[in-house]
Amino acid sequence: MSNTREPSTNYSIETVSSPLPKDIPHVDEIGATSAPLLSAAFFIGARCKPFNDDFMQCKSEKPGNGEIGCLKEGRRVTRCAASVLSDINKNCLDSFRLHWNCLEQNNHALKNCRKAEKLFNKCVFDKLNLTKTIPGVPEGETPIHLKEKPLYVPNVEDYDSKIAYKKAQAEGKI
Amino acid sequence: MPTVQDLPPIGGYEPIQWKRHLPSRGFRPKVWFGLLLGICSYGFYKTIQSIQERRELQREKVWARIHLMPLLQAETDRDLVRRHYSDKAIESKIMANVPGWDVNENVYNDGRFRSPTFSFADDK
Repeated sequence: MSNTREPSTNYSIETVSSPLPKDIPHVDEIGATSAPLLSAAFFIGARCKPFNDDFMQCKSEKPGNGEIGCLKEGRRVTRCAASVLSDINKNCLDSFRLHWNCLEQNNHALKNCRKAEKLFNKCVFDKLNLTKTIPGVPEGETPIHLKEKPLYVPNVEDYDSKIAYKKAQAEGKI
Repeated sequence: MPTVQDLPPIGGYEPIQWKRHLPSRGFRPKVWFGLLLGICSYGFYKTIQSIQERRELQREKVWARIHLMPLLQAETDRDLVRRHYSDKAIESKIMANVPGWDVNENVYNDGRFRSPTFSFADDK
């Protein structure tokens, strides 16, 4: 007896390839997978908060009809996020890759990639002036990503980011 | 023969040793209790700290998702709208010969958007 079965529905053939109607402006989709998105999430949040809030407000003001009613706001959200990603790609590609590859290898747990994250955050702050802020940190506590000695540390530090971090430390960049 | 009574020795019997004379080992009970208290408080301190840190990690993850949600939702919405209009186009093509068929007429009366519930394997 096998534990696997053939999928009863094959979604791969269920494609509706027709594009959106002409009167709806085209916008390039973000086209990034989960790890780069997670890596850049806080910077997308930092730059695109007004657009995001606008979109979500529009959705809540048009209950049940937000899909068609909020296309314009949705395009703005996507354009803004795409601008953040392209800026990061232009300015901080190395540390960005380092971080999201680390996330990809480490179960998408941010705690496992603090070294790569430090390099990445520093680069983004220097070049794009975006900071990672977690809203609602309790009064008088260090935000979790800035803690010097966190209790939860990775079992095995990501090799590439360890090397890069050491190198940056030796060069006095961090 | 004179009667002889069994009597205690002169000066009385030695006192019976009923108390144990073992050397007392280890700390005084108060010290043991203090140690217990100390270890437990340290453990609780660490436990609370790690619970708080876990909560912060969770919050970090949730906020990352909150920042991404509008983006993903917008993409999904566009795709749903695209499929919606595509369905309408296909429907109007199929039902072109039926007189009085209104493609835009909805079976519901609440004006809400309903995501396409079926899809075509081939939309040609």
